[in-house]
Amino acid sequence: MDGSILESIGLEIIGVMAPVSICMLLVVLLVYSLSSSSSSAAAPIRTAANLVYLETPSDSTTQKLEGALLNALVFVIIISIVTFLLVLLYYYNFTNFLKNYTRFSAFFVLAAMGGSIFLSIIQHFSIPIDSITCFVLLLNFTVVGVLSVFSRAVPIFLKQGFMVALGIIVAAWFTNLPEWTTWVLLIALALYDLVAVLAPGGPLKILVELASSRDEELPALVYEARPTVSRNSGVRGSNLDLLVGGFSDSGSVELQVVPRNNESDLENSDYTAVAIRNQSEVGIGGEEGGETSPLVPNSRERQSSSSGSSEYSVDTSGQYGHGHGQSEIVADEERSPLVELLGLEGEREPVGGDGSDTFVTATRGIKLGLGDFIFYSVLVGRAAMYDLMTVYACYLAIISGLGCTLILLAVCRHALPALPISIILGVVFYFLTRLLMEPFIVGTSTHLMMF
Amino acid sequence: MTVAAGIGYALLALGPSLSLFVAVISKKPFLILTVLSSTLVWLISLIVLSGLWRGFLPLKTTAWWPYGILILTSVAFQEGLRILFWRVYQRLEDILDAFADRVSKPRLFLTDKMQIALAGGMGHGVAHAVFFCLSLLTPAFGPATFYVDKCSQIPFFLVSAIIALAFVTIHTFSMVIAFNGYAEKNIVDQLFVPIVHLISGMLTLINLASGGCVVGIPLLYFMALLTLMHCGKMVWRRLTENQNR
Repeated sequence: MDGSILESIGLEIIGVMAPVSICMLLVVLLVYSLSSSSSSAAAPIRTAANLVYLETPSDSTTQKLEGALLNALVFVIIISIVTFLLVLLYYYNFTNFLKNYTRFSAFFVLAAMGGSIFLSIIQHFSIPIDSITCFVLLLNFTVVGVLSVFSRAVPIFLKQGFMVALGIIVAAWFTNLPEWTTWVLLIALALYDLVAVLAPGGPLKILVELASSRDEELPALVYEARPTVSRNSGVRGSNLDLLVGGFSDSGSVELQVVPRNNESDLENSDYTAVAIRNQSEVGIGGEEGGETSPLVPNSRERQSSSSGSSEYSVDTSGQYGHGHGQSEIVADEERSPLVELLGLEGEREPVGGDGSDTFVTATRGIKLGLGDFIFYSVLVGRAAMYDLMTVYACYLAIISGLGCTLILLAVCRHALPALPISIILGVVFYFLTRLLMEPFIVGTSTHLMMF
Repeated sequence: MTVAAGIGYALLALGPSLSLFVAVISKKPFLILTVLSSTLVWLISLIVLSGLWRGFLPLKTTAWWPYGILILTSVAFQEGLRILFWRVYQRLEDILDAFADRVSKPRLFLTDKMQIALAGGMGHGVAHAVFFCLSLLTPAFGPATFYVDKCSQIPFFLVSAIIALAFVTIHTFSMVIAFNGYAEKNIVDQLFVPIVHLISGMLTLINLASGGCVVGIPLLYFMALLTLMHCGKMVWRRLTENQNR
């Protein structure tokens, strides 16, 4: 019997970690192969992320630090403004505008930023390709990308692939930022994330609550871990809990938002939906979106109520609000959880300051915002410019931070920001590795001593 | 001798682990998590150690004994950590069993436990190979190579990949041995692991002598084989015992 529980525990976590790892790996490869060639160091680009101060290697440390702090401050302010703008737009029901805007920005990212990355790859590896073919391919790529990001008819695999591609493109772009600015910016974003998601009145929090009270999906870009088809919800739901230590009877896993309303339903089955959201962060333009999504089915065996069975977490929307017709709800849930999940996700709202995009994170079975993908990858990509050793250390730190966030999610049951723990750990490990470990390792291993 | 060489060195050090990973670990998400966390533990131990030794490095002397102390402290620290790892694992095992009961699946089989130990050991081994070998490989992807004075017959990258392979083997399987030893309260197995680890570390000291790697590496591989055989015998014994019961 293949019944070993080892096979079922941790599936969701791996489902999240795998794409993040792939994204990071590709960004590292990209940075690695391109940075060696582009020593030309084209004049640093001016973006929303370094509006105030352009770093030059000759500046003194204090100058760099001050400049980087100013840059980060400006960037975070831009993001906050954009986010509030989004909340406002959303509040007044300009949902279609937001969706189309998101589509436009996805198009822009894939075509322009992606195109320039492809160009540099072609140049670097001297790939023989003529401009017409290249243009057609790029157009195809972009159109399929935009379609897959937003339509429900596209296979989930394709959709996930393009989300990762978007993340890679933007992250690769971000690695062009000067070093000090990158580090300060990452930390600032992690802090911002913390505030925006958790503080009362934080824009992302408002956005999520608004969306859940309206039974709508946020227009935002979200990576959604593939809900594994047809598994027993029971097993799945509780895996995380298990990891947490048998924490609860109902397992909801997720990162972020948990909407639940029990209002009317207590008697029947209660559905708890946990939604997770991530925060998004924006790229240069600085924007973000938050999203929520509901998650996955939790199994809860709690009340043996009638329908009792398993609950699928459907969108929050699905569940909430409908206190009445419970039967309907139940039916819906059973029938179409997957579909709903699929449908929900992504929209992104990009705000383009300078033509940058925004990424939003998404929720997933566990949903993870695209913004998280991007900034994880930016950190690793930046580490790759120093040495491989820092890359491994940062990767491990980020992944374990993500794991901690997931576990926390299972414990506290509401939307959590995915950036802070991972980014802080990543930064700490980067500097520890660079300052402490590298001299140690190089010292011992060049003497061929290992242990 | 560029990209091909770099990939070759990397595969030399990590190829066996890679196949083990694909064959055994990758199908079970929980084992992947175990590998990741054990890699993280090893990384943390390395950072702590390097923090401790940061003040003294680089060693100016040519004497071997400071390196001996370095290896001794490192091994002692890591073996202490292994005991900690075991404690954590024990709690985890209880939780897993309780969980299995709840979802009415079978409890952990003996092989499951061994796989968890294997995954934990592999995390250590992979971390070793990554930090001591792979992370230094960057220059190997370039057009040149590098020779160390003391071992001038073979390129440095090749030597470090070969040594890393031996250590990966030792780390991976000694975790299985250690966990079994703890579980059965078998003192021999419990002591076997730190001793093998210490001896292997000390054997690399031979590399400090000029041309020492010619002697040191075969000895190191002898230790690796010893670990492998001991582990194989032990697993075989437990499995047959288990079947008979």
